[in-house]
Amino acid sequence: MRIASRGIPLLVACLALAYPWLVPNYYLVYAGALTVMYAAMSTSWNLLGGFTGYVSLGHSAFFGLGAYGTGLLIVRLGVPWVAALLVSAVAVTAFAVFVGVAAVRVRGASFVIVSIALVSMMNLVVQGWRSLTGGSTGLQVPSPFPDLHRGQTHIVFFYLFLALLGLALLSWWYVSRSRFGAGLRAIREDEDKAESLGVPTGAYKVTAFALSALFVSLAGGLYAVWFGSLDPIFVFSILIGSYMVLMSLLGGVRHLFGPLLGALIVAPAGEYFLIALGETQIHLTATGLLLVLVVLFMPDGILARLTRRRAGPSIPDETAEQRLQGAAR
Amino acid sequence: MARVLKSLTITSMCALALTACAKTDEPGTAQPAGQQQGPVKIGISLPLTGDFAEPGNGIKDGYQVWADRVNAKGGLLGRKVELIFRDDASDPNRVSSDYESLITQDKVNLVFGPFSSRLVIPAAKVAESYNMLFVEPAGAAKEVFEQGFKRLFYAAPAIASDHYNYLADYIIKLPADKRPKTAAYASLDDPFAQGTAYGLRDKLAAAGIKTVVDEVYPPETTDFSPIAAKIAAAKPDIVVGGTQFEDSVGLVRALQELKVQPKLAAFSTGPTEPEFPAAVKGAAESIISPVGWSATATFTGNQEMIKRHKEMFNGEANEDTANGFTVGQVVEAAVNAAKCVDATKECQDKLADHIRQGTFDTVVGKLSFDDQGRPEQAHMIQQYVGGKVEIVLPEQAKTADLVYPKKPW
Amino acid sequence: MVSLLLQGLALGVLTGGLYALLASGLSLYFGVMRVVMVAHPAFLFLAAYLTYTVHTTFGVDPFLALPVTVPLFFALGVAVQRLLVARLAPDNLAMMSVLLTFGIALAIEGLLGTIYTGSYKSVSMEYATKSLTIGGVHLPYDKIIAFFVAALTLAVLFAVLVRSRFGQALRATIQHREAARLVGVQTERVAGYGFGVGLATAAVGGTVLALITPFFPASHWVWIGKLMAIIVVGGLGSVIGAALAAVLLGVVEGLVLVTVDATWATMMFYVFLFLTLLARPQGFFGGRLAHRF
Repeated sequence: MRIASRGIPLLVACLALAYPWLVPNYYLVYAGALTVMYAAMSTSWNLLGGFTGYVSLGHSAFFGLGAYGTGLLIVRLGVPWVAALLVSAVAVTAFAVFVGVAAVRVRGASFVIVSIALVSMMNLVVQGWRSLTGGSTGLQVPSPFPDLHRGQTHIVFFYLFLALLGLALLSWWYVSRSRFGAGLRAIREDEDKAESLGVPTGAYKVTAFALSALFVSLAGGLYAVWFGSLDPIFVFSILIGSYMVLMSLLGGVRHLFGPLLGALIVAPAGEYFLIALGETQIHLTATGLLLVLVVLFMPDGILARLTRRRAGPSIPDETAEQRLQGAAR
Repeated sequence: MARVLKSLTITSMCALALTACAKTDEPGTAQPAGQQQGPVKIGISLPLTGDFAEPGNGIKDGYQVWADRVNAKGGLLGRKVELIFRDDASDPNRVSSDYESLITQDKVNLVFGPFSSRLVIPAAKVAESYNMLFVEPAGAAKEVFEQGFKRLFYAAPAIASDHYNYLADYIIKLPADKRPKTAAYASLDDPFAQGTAYGLRDKLAAAGIKTVVDEVYPPETTDFSPIAAKIAAAKPDIVVGGTQFEDSVGLVRALQELKVQPKLAAFSTGPTEPEFPAAVKGAAESIISPVGWSATATFTGNQEMIKRHKEMFNGEANEDTANGFTVGQVVEAAVNAAKCVDATKECQDKLADHIRQGTFDTVVGKLSFDDQGRPEQAHMIQQYVGGKVEIVLPEQAKTADLVYPKKPW
Repeated sequence: MVSLLLQGLALGVLTGGLYALLASGLSLYFGVMRVVMVAHPAFLFLAAYLTYTVHTTFGVDPFLALPVTVPLFFALGVAVQRLLVARLAPDNLAMMSVLLTFGIALAIEGLLGTIYTGSYKSVSMEYATKSLTIGGVHLPYDKIIAFFVAALTLAVLFAVLVRSRFGQALRATIQHREAARLVGVQTERVAGYGFGVGLATAAVGGTVLALITPFFPASHWVWIGKLMAIIVVGGLGSVIGAALAAVLLGVVEGLVLVTVDATWATMMFYVFLFLTLLARPQGFFGGRLAHRF
């Protein structure tokens, strides 16, 4: 068991690093980079969703803001791309703190509504602010590697997204072992009790919200320089946000590698559905039904099903009381 | 810590061991010999679902009619033409991955363009970076031609901002007592739709016709009463809509409800669709719109296309069909002239050079292109006259006289 | 300018009435099950498409579709509650129900797209382009009809909630589920019927929508945000609150539309949503009950 739990992630990491050199063509590198991007985003989504149980359908707002922030800094101010990426990620995180203060005041359903509203609002702002963002014409971001041909650019970004995924996984792992993480889990179990035991729930929730926005906005920024064309209605898409949720739930929100596993299943399946059933919109139905089935029958995800024991680091199954004590200590 | 280091070492060694092998499909490499004998594969991504599905399917029909005709005549350079369609669901992410996979995985010989200015730019980026010729049926917004693409050509008579040129000339030349003095513009927030309306606006404004309303509405707008109310309050002489289909219908309905009776009403795209008169009931009469294609024209292959379309799909061809077909005609002529049809840079460059220099006979008339791939011709102006679509401008192509001022709706 | 503002106000009130009907179902679901039904707008457009089919196949008035769609949607609503929502684990019901209904919405959109294609459909009647003019203000007949159908449906809904035994049981369930069960209300069954009634309002709303706007399978996205904002501003679970908030936001939207533009008009919904959450998270008409959700 120990060998399996340590060996499998190592093997997967090895395969991931080798992936661009194993596949026969650049399309598969491209698809791989997209998949890793989704994995990174759903892992960072899980920093909020997995620990606190707050389901945000609106994380694509941070993805879009990260993308437009990076793109605008490069195009309008001529900032070097790495600096643009970092500056915009910091700005988006600050914005997320601000939004978080309003958003986490409400629980449950209201929170989900707020997250949906956030995406629509950002879409309206970016589409409407034509003079800055180019509006519906979109924003064209120059490639940071003009000397590389397209396929090589895909390889570079595959590794960049992989690094981001690593960073997100590391953060999740670190948080899961910290007191901060224990506090977040206490919020998930019983927010009122956690608060009465002295967990600063508000600050914890906002921190988790901002942290998860940080990685998503980094993914958005990388996407902007990689993809080169930004269009508000497609970047601020509820569907992107819901993919993060679907991937995390499918894999298992309480497990470190849950969202990654979900992304490895959902992203290629999405590609397959589009190619196999692409002539009609039935692929939307397939996605929808998958979500319904997961929510109904596997809300804890595949990893929870596969192993009663832990597969890799995960949030332990302990009682609410134990968890609360851990948080209050 | 030691454990982390150890795993890092192992993983990096795995990676190093594998970096030795490289891609077999570096762009621009020649195709294996066997491929030369097979069919000519043409990769196309179109919005068959989603927001742009209606025109997307129209263009697909056009491509298919063209391929059918070419194959009936013995194919391209003696090889059968095979079209590979992908659905991009009106999403630029998808459009990129579609062309990516068509070019590197399916190893197509040629690519044809998708629909809508919003999707053409991301698609053209992919094609351009693999050195593929990119003739497209629908990216008419001026921004498309400002990206520095070297192998992009728009196979229709004119770019968006020039669509209303004939109408602008006509209005400006009207005698002073008949000339409209004020104009209202309402446009969809879309590069193409706005391009058409603003092209006309800028020309009329320069000629002294005052802009009294200039509205932009987002794509999801379905209630046009408030916009119509603004227009009604300004009482303009002419109303111009930079529209696609459904919003043109919504605007016409709302203008009627708000009892706006302009002397001239022009809408892009919508009125050229065959469903338009039924959708607006009796209000289509006298409505004007720019059109790049006419069902009655006798340009090269036009009547044959209409007939073949009817046989294949049991329906009437429309402008989208014609646009798709035109792409086929232009590329076909280039392939026949350059005598090559493979995906290599040399061949694709040869095709692009030929298109840039040549003049092409198509179902929309003679076409030629400038250095950025803009077509250099003009759109005609159509009007519903007596319940029928008539070409009213330019003078030499007209089938009826322009009715002005328009009848009340 | 004054006449333009009056025109905006009139259109806003008429649209607001329709919003009230469309949001009432959402309030009901939330009331009986604490569930945010993201699929409600998708069901609206399902009803719109059914209306379209009835209208084009049989050539009858779109309102004649109601005898078919209303019972059908009632049954669908009961089924959704009994077979899907009731199966969710109660500990994270609010969030999971959003995901569940989000999945349903996607599934409906995909089905509509497959059956009816992605292009716009519309039902246009003879009166679609006529309007009533009162003192320089034009009131489109289709909007007047929509307003009165919405008002009538809401009146029936209120009457049912206030007068009938079922309504009493429903309100008891909304107010306090455990207590209702203790006094002998079969809360499970009532919750199912609550969903049924909610979806039945979607059937009526869909028919009305079909009359006044063209629609395509993805149309429901626009409505999710607007309707959600309305029920939050009104106070989650309060049908009356939702109705008042709907008219309020309809009027604001109408005035902003004729004075500024469509982007700002839509933005108003979200501005009000955030202001409400900052100032009064339970909504302006919601009671104690909404606070926790």
